[in-house]
Amino acid sequence: MDRWLGRGSASITMPPMDGALRPNDLLDSASPILEAPAPDCLAVTSRGVVVSSGHALVALGRSDGAPVASFDAEISALAGLPDGGAAVGLVDGRIAFVGGERDGKVIPAGRETRCITALAPGRDGVLLVANGSAANAPAAWKRDLMEKNASGSVWRIALSDGGRQQVAGELAYPYGLIEEADSVVVSESWRSALTRLVPGGGRREPVLENLPAYPSRLSRGSDNAIWLALFAPRSQLIEFVLSEDRYRRRMIGEIDPDLWVAPCLRSGRSPLEPTQQGGVKQLGVLKPWSPNRSYGLVARLDHGYRPTASFHSRAHGRRHGVTSCLAVDGRLLFCAKGDGVVASCGYEGVAL
Amino acid sequence: MTIAPPSDVPLLEMRNIVKLYGGVAALRDINFDLRRGEVHAILGENGAGKSTLVKILSGVVTPSKGEIRLDGRRVHIAGPAGARRHGIAMVYQETSLVPTLTVAQNLYLGDEKFFNRLRGTYIEAQQLLQSLNFPVDPTAIVQSLGTAKRQMVEIARAVRLQAKIIIFDEPTATLTPEEKHHLFALIDRLRQEQVSVIFISHALEEALEISDRMTILRDGAHIVTDDAKTFTRETVIRHMVGRSLTDELYGRAAAGKLRPPGEKVLSVQNLSMQNVVRNTSFSIFAGQVTGIFGLVGSGRTETAKIIAGVVKRDFFHGGDVQFDGASVRYRTPCQAVRDGVVYVTEDRKGEGFFETMSVAENIYVGQICSKESRGFATSMREMRELAAVWTKKLNVRALNSDARVIQLSGGNQQKVMIAKALVQKPKLVIFDEPTRGVDVGAIAEIHHLIATLADEGLAVIVISSYLPEILSLSDRILVSRQGRIVEELSPGLATSETVMFAAVH
Repeated sequence: MDRWLGRGSASITMPPMDGALRPNDLLDSASPILEAPAPDCLAVTSRGVVVSSGHALVALGRSDGAPVASFDAEISALAGLPDGGAAVGLVDGRIAFVGGERDGKVIPAGRETRCITALAPGRDGVLLVANGSAANAPAAWKRDLMEKNASGSVWRIALSDGGRQQVAGELAYPYGLIEEADSVVVSESWRSALTRLVPGGGRREPVLENLPAYPSRLSRGSDNAIWLALFAPRSQLIEFVLSEDRYRRRMIGEIDPDLWVAPCLRSGRSPLEPTQQGGVKQLGVLKPWSPNRSYGLVARLDHGYRPTASFHSRAHGRRHGVTSCLAVDGRLLFCAKGDGVVASCGYEGVAL
Repeated sequence: MTIAPPSDVPLLEMRNIVKLYGGVAALRDINFDLRRGEVHAILGENGAGKSTLVKILSGVVTPSKGEIRLDGRRVHIAGPAGARRHGIAMVYQETSLVPTLTVAQNLYLGDEKFFNRLRGTYIEAQQLLQSLNFPVDPTAIVQSLGTAKRQMVEIARAVRLQAKIIIFDEPTATLTPEEKHHLFALIDRLRQEQVSVIFISHALEEALEISDRMTILRDGAHIVTDDAKTFTRETVIRHMVGRSLTDELYGRAAAGKLRPPGEKVLSVQNLSMQNVVRNTSFSIFAGQVTGIFGLVGSGRTETAKIIAGVVKRDFFHGGDVQFDGASVRYRTPCQAVRDGVVYVTEDRKGEGFFETMSVAENIYVGQICSKESRGFATSMREMRELAAVWTKKLNVRALNSDARVIQLSGGNQQKVMIAKALVQKPKLVIFDEPTRGVDVGAIAEIHHLIATLADEGLAVIVISSYLPEILSLSDRILVSRQGRIVEELSPGLATSETVMFAAVH
């Protein structure tokens, strides 16, 4: 009945971007630091801030632009370690180490972690690993959303022997991690929420729900503020497609993924994209209508994970698809993967 | 042969007017004069004596003492018909039209010919309304018209009678900015045609804008009369209430003292109701005053009423309202009240209170609806105690709590309505036009109350068409247009122009 009436869980509604998430153009006014193909993840190491871009790990601010390290597979996640090194997750599930005590070592791919989306250093010599999906590789994230999977998991991997222990499973694409005193907070992209996982009992608590965009990586600033990157906007159109199973199945089966009615890191580049030629008649005037499929958004959260400020790149902006952000030395660094830019801006004084 | 009076003789003089009600002076030795072709604003708090003064002029009330001179000649105004004969017409705040007759019939009421040709009446009425730029259908039945259009018919009737003096009592309270603009243009035209206008309004900016001279009354006494140019908003208020109300309440945004947002209490997502509320979304946070500004018809009130369970959203795909993190769909206001959502209506006489009941009973009605109610088990003692607490807390000035609400001034009626809402211990309070038809003294008290509620951690929504109110009270400003929230502004950066631009474009 609810589905027929469009009510309750079947209501296709979007939370508004207002309050602390009120749109602005701060990401677009940020200074570019690096232009690279698909910069994805940022981390602080002893070599400064590094960013993953395709197969390479690049240090920001290095004049020659030579990569710090290159791999035979694309990098899907990155984390700075307390010893100054970096843990690098590769698309095939391996975890390699660059710098620090474990420089050059590799943890082989496990069957359970074939889609590493985020890494974070944990206490007691473990590495926290988010496995986005049990069914799809990191590059097929769009398919994972359209299949409405919730097969992601979070693992603790011992750095000493590579032993794995599952923290939680059945997560809807965990894409960011942050460790707290007795729990792990994970961003579940397809639930548009942050969830607290308490190891042991398997208890889960919602931390922040009903976000207007799909969350990705989390990081903690020196002032204890949490920074959350959100890589694409939610829209009623996409939610509607998600509720229409037959349409969705045909779309997945017959259409190029780049042209799906689905979120993306950068839209508007092809005239073949869905809804680019839509229109509505308002007050007798035919106006173009095309809901955003890409957006740029970074949110600053307080220690209680409540949004306090936000940085946006709107429909007309050029900093879409933000997958990672870091606050370093009073500046916010972020990767706009959709537009191939790493940029920085000041964040002091930016508040609601 | 008639001799034209010298031009320096005022058109109207009221000398030493005294009006006593059972020994209590409503007017004390008032002197008032009105020149030809001038717009003269009379200002004062509720109870200052403005209405009594104009009622004397329009023949509704007879003065206890004093004299009235028209064109230098002493006259006796015997009843409203006598006032009309002397060329005095009054446009009332609450219209005096016959609701079951058409607009044209109302315009010509009392002036019907022996044989009436309805078609001719309609044509004349249409010409009159068109000449005034009022978009009102003369064949429409008055009860089918909105308040603004009824007001227009009232004005048209006064103009038709070719009055020399037209008294406007709160003419703009129900008009949209556009209609207000038309009214002011009309008043300007009347002024050019040497018609004198007496303008009574609580909106001080309007009085300052439209009037040539101003008279301020306080507690039945004349305080000052001078050119409008010599007044500012602050000086007018000081004369009206005898003290300055410009305190820290009205400088917070400039001083950067806005309240930070607390927990998200309410999330309205893609809410729709026919063509009135169209896919609107916004959030409300605890510990803040969120002001919603919009023109009449922008769907603000309807949105608030959906949230509070007064009206229902669309049956199919009507959107979602989440209160305290849970989806809610209230079928009656009582359900909303029990969850902690209260709505303080803009139409206090129609929807806000029971006018035949006392102050105490009205406040107790609020308690009966709340979670703490014991159903039919009511207690007179509890009612009196509750009334005593809230009338003191909100400074309701009534003779006693057994006084009927209808006997109170607009400001005190509003306070009773607010008490009735707050007694329900809400988490979210929605004020719809909280200071409409309320005098400036009470406005300041209500504003303080709203600020206090937000300081105590409640989520507060203030819906208002009065921009200074929105700008001074709000920690966030949402602008509504054509059934949806179209803009969010920070009061620190918002100006009247930016808010109005968002509301119109």
